[in-house]
Formats: sequence, C-alpha cells, structure tokens
Amino acid sequence: MNRRNFFSGAATAVAAASVSRVALAALPEPAMQSSADTAPPLHPPTGRPYNPVVTLNGWTAPWRMNAGVKEFHLVAEPVVREVAPGFMVNMWGYNGQSPGPTIEVVEGDRVRIFVTNRLPEHTTIHWHGQRLPNGMDGVGGLTQPAIQPGKTFVYEFVARRPGTFMYHPHADEMVQMAMGMMGLWITHPKGSHPQIAKVQRDYAFLLNAFDVEPGSMTPKVNTMLDHNIWCWNSRVFPSISPLVARQGERVRIRVGNLTMTNHPIHMHGHEFEVTGTDGGPVPHSARWPEVTTDIAVGQMRQVEFIADEPGDWALHCHKSHHTMGAMGHSVPSMIGVDHRGLVGKIQKIVPDYMVMGERGMADMGAMEMPLPDNTFPMMTGTGPFGPLEMGGMFTTLKVRADQPAGSYIDPGAFKQPTGTQAFEWQGAPASTPRPARTDIPGTAPAAASARKPAASGHQH
Amino acid sequence: MTGARCFSVLAAAALLAGCASVSPDGLRSDVAALTAGRTAGVPQAALPATDPAARAQAQQSINGWLAQPLTQDAAVRIALLNNPGLQARLAALGVADAERVQAITLPNPHLTLGRFTTSQEREIERTLAFGLMDLITLPWRTQHETERLQIATLQAAQDVAQLAADTRRAWLRAVAAEQVAATHDRMVEAAEVGAELARRMAQVGNWSRLQQAREQAVLHEANSQRARARLAAATAREDLNWRLGVWGAQAQYQLAAQLPPLPATALPADGIEATALRERLDVQAARRQLDTQAVRQGWSRAGAVFGDIGLAYSRNTTTERDTGSSDVKRGWEIELPLPLFDRGGAARTRAQAQVEQSAAQLQDTAVRARSEIRAAWLTYRTALDLARQQQAEVVPLRQLISDETTLRYNGMLASVWDMLAEARNSTQAVANAIEAQRDFWLAETDLQLTLTGTSPGALQGLTSGAAASSTPQGH
Ligand SMILES: [Cu+2]
Repeated sequence: MNRRNFFSGAATAVAAASVSRVALAALPEPAMQSSADTAPPLHPPTGRPYNPVVTLNGWTAPWRMNAGVKEFHLVAEPVVREVAPGFMVNMWGYNGQSPGPTIEVVEGDRVRIFVTNRLPEHTTIHWHGQRLPNGMDGVGGLTQPAIQPGKTFVYEFVARRPGTFMYHPHADEMVQMAMGMMGLWITHPKGSHPQIAKVQRDYAFLLNAFDVEPGSMTPKVNTMLDHNIWCWNSRVFPSISPLVARQGERVRIRVGNLTMTNHPIHMHGHEFEVTGTDGGPVPHSARWPEVTTDIAVGQMRQVEFIADEPGDWALHCHKSHHTMGAMGHSVPSMIGVDHRGLVGKIQKIVPDYMVMGERGMADMGAMEMPLPDNTFPMMTGTGPFGPLEMGGMFTTLKVRADQPAGSYIDPGAFKQPTGTQAFEWQGAPASTPRPARTDIPGTAPAAASARKPAASGHQH
Repeated sequence: MTGARCFSVLAAAALLAGCASVSPDGLRSDVAALTAGRTAGVPQAALPATDPAARAQAQQSINGWLAQPLTQDAAVRIALLNNPGLQARLAALGVADAERVQAITLPNPHLTLGRFTTSQEREIERTLAFGLMDLITLPWRTQHETERLQIATLQAAQDVAQLAADTRRAWLRAVAAEQVAATHDRMVEAAEVGAELARRMAQVGNWSRLQQAREQAVLHEANSQRARARLAAATAREDLNWRLGVWGAQAQYQLAAQLPPLPATALPADGIEATALRERLDVQAARRQLDTQAVRQGWSRAGAVFGDIGLAYSRNTTTERDTGSSDVKRGWEIELPLPLFDRGGAARTRAQAQVEQSAAQLQDTAVRARSEIRAAWLTYRTALDLARQQQAEVVPLRQLISDETTLRYNGMLASVWDMLAEARNSTQAVANAIEAQRDFWLAETDLQLTLTGTSPGALQGLTSGAAASSTPQGH
C-alpha cells in the first residue's frame, strides 16, 4: 500500500564532491527534507564504501568531506510532520522532519556534526550508545552548556564502534522527545566483520509516540503513557512504508525505542535472530530464534532473517493498543447492549447518530464516519480482502520471488497461490447453542459466602 | 324678598346647574386621548364602551382574536376591552364625574308647607328655601371639581397604560414559558434514552449499578426540571388569563408559538429624560396638581419658584402640549424666581404649604422619572446585548460543541452519554436564549411604559444566569 508515494522524496541538497577551501571554512549547508516518504538508500559518494540502510519514511543526511572529516549539519527546528495523509502534527525535529535524518558513517570515521538551534529554547544532542570523549556526550549542564536558540555547536569524535545507534536531545529532554526530536545513527563496519553479516536489505526505524488531542495539532508533552499516536519514525499505519524483499534475501531490521514503554515487535511468517543491540553485535553463540522481540525504552535491537516465505506478512508491535489510532480510553464498552427501539430516539436528538460498538468495534473500521478535524481514526486501512482495522505501529513485510534486487518498489498485494487461503466451510453449519446464562451481572462471586447468615435476611 | 328678585336668583342658579352635566361616555374618550400611543406599543387600542351594542361588538372582536394563535397585540387589545379590573376603574371614573356634577349642582330648594290650626285660627305657611352658601361657592367648586376630575382622569389613563404593559409582560412570560417547557421535553427525551441505555448496559453486565444510577439521576433531574417548567408555563398563562379577563371556554385559546424576533437596532438613549418629563402621565398629573394649587392661590408663577423640574416649565405647556416640545422649551429660565412668600395669616400659610407640597411632589415625580428612564434604558440595552449574545454566539457555540462531540463519538473518542449530555446542554442554551429574548422584551415594555406612560414600579430587571449545564460522566 501507499505505493504511489514510496521513494518519491529526496533530499533537497546532496553532498558536494569538491568544495573550495574558503567554503570549507564555513558551516556546511544543511540538507533539508520536505517529504515524509521513504528516501532511497544513499550510496556513499565519498569516503569508505558501505551498504546503506533504508530509513522507513525517512532519509539519510548527506555530508561533505573536509580534510578527511565527515561533516554533517543538523538544524533543530519546529516542523510540521505528515504522520498520515491528512493528519499533520506540529513537532520539533531536525532539517525539516521528525525524526531527523539518519547519519551513516563507517567505523573509524572522524565525524564533525554542526548543530544549529532554531528552537525557541536551548537544546543539545546526545549521541546515544557511542564511545566518545565525555565532552561530546551532549548532556546539557553535565558535559556542556546547552545550545541557546540561534547558536551553533560543533560535536566531533571518531565513530569507534560499528552498530546501530540513535541521537536525541539531552536538554529539556522530556518535552523535546515528546515533540519528536530524535534520529538514527548507523556505524557500518570497516571491511568485513565476523559477527556482522552482509545483508541485501537493511531497514531502520525508531519507535516514537505522541499524544495528540483529536481535533488539535500539537502533542501534549506531559503525557507519560496514555499516548494515542503510536509511530514508527513519526508515521502510522497505513502510511508506514512496507518492507520489501526478494525471496531468499537476508534482511536486517534495526529498531530503536524512544517512547516511554516497551514494544514487543512481532513478525509474521519468519523467525529471526537478534544479531545486535546498541551495545554491539551479539555473538553467534548467544543468538536464539524468535518471532517477537521486546524492545525496552532506550534500547535498540537489530534483527536478521532470511526472507524465504513469499507473501504479505504483518510486522507490528504486539501490544494491541499500539496498532490503533486515537481512541477514547474512557468510552464504555457497548458490546452486547441491545439498541432496539433507541436508535430512532437518539437520532431525533442527534440526527447524525449511528449505532457503534454494539457487536464490537469493527464497525469503526468499515464505516468511515466523519471525525473531528486532523484526527487520525482509531482503526483504518484496507487490504485486498477488506478493512485491516489497524492504525499505529503496523506495516507489512512483502516478500516476492520476482522482486528485483535493490528495488524498493512496492509490489502491491500478494497473489496467493490457489488453494493456499483460508476458506469458508460449505457443509452443514456448526451446531453451537448458546449456553443459558447462570450468573447475575453485578453480583460479587464471594458476596454470599462472606455474608454472615444472621446479618441479612435476603439473598441476592 | 320680592318675587322678581327671587325669580332672578333662581334663574341664575338654574343656569349654573344646567351647565354642569355628566360626560355621556363616562370620560372614556378623555382617557383614550391620554392613553393614545401609551398602550404597550399597540396602536389605537379601544377601551370598553358604555353602550351595550358596542360592548357586544367588542365581545365579537375578542372571540375573533382568541380563535387565532394569540399575539401580544391581540392580548393587549383584549385586556383593555375585557379586563374587569379596568372596567371597574373606568366605572369609578364615571362615578367621580357624576359626583363632580352632583357637587356643583345646586341642591334642590326646600319647600316647606305648614298648616297650623287652633280653635281660633288656621295658618298655612309656605317657605321656599335653598342654601345660599352653595350658590356663592358654586364657581369655585366648579373649578375645583373639574381639576380634581382631570387628575382622576390622568390617573385612570395611567392605569390603562399599566394594564397594557402588564398584559404584554404576561403574554411574553406565557409564550416564553411554553417555549422553554418544550425545550425541557427534548432534554427529558435525551435523559430518557441515556437512562434506558444505561439500564441495558447494567443488564448485560457492561456497567455497574453505580454507573447506571448516575444516568438515572440525570433523568430524575431532567424530569423534575420539566415539571417546574410546565408549572411555570401554566401559571404564566393563568396570569395572562387574569389580565385578559377570560376563563372557562374563552381561556382555551392557543398562544403564539414564538416571541417576536430581536430588533436589528436599539432605541437610542438621546433625549429620553426630556421625553419622559414631557410625556409621562404621572408627571403631567403632578404638574396639574401644582397648577391647581397655584391658581387657587393666585400664584400663576408658582412653578417658577417651586416647580423647576429641570425642563423648561410653564403653565402653558401643560395646556398646550399638542404644540410640541419646541414650545416647551420657550425660555423663561432667564427669569429669576421671585420670593413670593407672604407670611401673613394662617390661610396664606396653609395655601403656601399646599403649593410647596405640590411643587415638591412634582419634583419628586420628575426626579424619579429621570432615574427610572435611565435605569430602564440601561436594562433594555443590556438585555438586548445579552439576548443577542445568547442567540448569535452561545447557541451556535453549544451546537458546535454538540456537533464536535458527535464527531468524537464517531471516532469512538466519546460515548453516547457524552453526546446526549451535550445535546441537553445545547437545548439548555436554546432555553436560555428564549429567556434572554423574553427578558429583552420585558425590558422593552418597561422602557416604553417608563418613557411615555408612568412609573413601572419596580423594574422587572434581568433574570440571573442560566442553569448550570450538566456534565457527562466518565471523565
Ligand atoms: Cu507497542
């Protein structure tokens, strides 16, 4: 799904191959991104070669080489992120988007990052998981003074350890992360590494969550757990790009968690191994097969598998609330409540009223009733066989035999071979009489035994 | 006394007595002239006639008006024709007129016939006598009684203006109360659905008894409020019935469905104090009182001394009111008040005190009129702003909240009960808007009465704020 937009975005500035000495003395021009689509992998034009990652609904920052140093320029600024088409959120991010651009370097690279603050308040950047001089760790007040609005700071260190990392502010951190400030950092191994396999597809994304009041645009930064917009790279189903693979390819997925709760990321159709964390590659002897890996807060997991089962496979957080859009947590459950005789009466009072929830909430996915402005529906998305009733941390892994190597084109819906789909039983219907209800609602099970016989004459 | 002289005196007395006759319509045309333009905005409202044919025709008109949904115009017309209290008041004016005529009619001469007999003689005595004093004081009494009646006529006219205003107020209250009671029907419907759905929720185990009880409480509250609203509508209608003077079958009329819409523009406050002093019947009555006292004492300029009510005043202005305000402002203010006190004699002192009393009463009436018209205009203006705000801002805002809540219900972000509660709040806002509209028209009635009629007594004022809106549970 969303094939139309896949890969249509590209950075507005790309790395310059050669720049004059005078220009090199100045700040590098920051590359800006206006699209929320997945940018194609950025093959390194300069420096050591590596196999680039694909950032879901994101992009990799271009750099310039300056006397052997890779120079990046991150601009912290307010942005408007398209979390889904028609659902825009006022966020804080880097270089036009939230999350910021992925920084890809190679083990041993000297990296210089210019950080310009265009936020209304001070900020810093912490390079999560990196080995670096203490003064480059980016903890406001502890290792450096904060970067005041309008100022630019320079961070410089050697990317010593290959692996999957992230960056985020460490100044007014709660607010700035709740507003979407974060990004990925990939350090590719220099040459071959015994514990880092060569993969044909390398996907990366961050888990982030927002609390956006239906009908509003700005996240409520004080929410701790009760978020309603559960994102991968500030994007929700059905607008998260699918992960595509050619059958038999080795695929790596790198996931970092910057929400305030854990997310068990589950993949259908395949087993995978956790081959690395932000602490580094996992030794072969320590790996075991899984279909779900829980990613705790502030952790990164890098999983790998052989995409050998063709199909459209769900890939999602297994906390079911996290695959939903905005919902009212205090709305009572209407399941099993007979609405006969009341619908007309309610419609007399509220003409637009429709019964929902009487049988469950699936009505919601199908009805597509008008919602408040800028409100992401609780459940949405349609597949070849009907509504998916999802929205949030959900996308698909699309494995195809005929997917060209290196192509990230969405192949569309999977054509299942005949006789391989669940089907409706055509024989005699099952006899499933409803058992008579034996209990009375609202009666505490222990009430009768706890009651003293003398205390009360009547029984419930 | 010679026969000729005797005859001439009798003839003069008969002439004087003949001049004094009762008004054929019991002074109703005088009252009607005074109340023209002062009957709560209803033009040319008729007063009850004295002759039976006209009365029958009036009854026909009344039945015609009652057959249609009753407008405020018709209500005022019916009340002025049919209100027994007003009929009694006008009849009393006729009685006063008759008394005036009686007072200035010479008493019948007394004829005394006597026949006295003794054994010697028989005497027949004939005496024709009448009160000489009555004859001497006749011109003075004629003037006094005439002036007294003029004041009584002015007072009766004020009663007419009051009744017209009272009827209009009663009509406004009755119509608004019916409209408000109808909004309570809608609020009860919303609460009934909420309570019934809550009952079904509890029945299948989705809700606790506590949650159900909350919705039941909402229903009871809505029901009790509706009962009060219905009572208010019934009593308001009874109040109107009383003003209209109807009962039984005649009281089965249908009221107009709605209050008149709010005016696009407000009456300006310019010159309202001057208008009130010029037009108000109570001020005119107080002036007449002062004039009467002053004339009796030969103090035609008494008003200059005591009667300065802030507006150019002279005796002429009261008698020549029709010439318009420009005449009123004829400037004798430049004249200095003359100290006319004459301290000689108890009679003079008494007369002076009476003039002072009347002058002070005029001033008191004038000061009161000024204050009342300012307060009435301010109330009118504020009531208009409040009613417009309620209608143009609050009701649409409540509707928006209701609509947005429905959108949230669609998204499963809000419950049916949230939606129903907002529907109730929306309806409450409509009820508040109706009451604000009613309050505006009540204030407008007060303003008209205060401007050209008489003192409205205690101003109706504005009702205090709307009932607290109900809050959905579960948040
Ligand atoms: Cu989750």
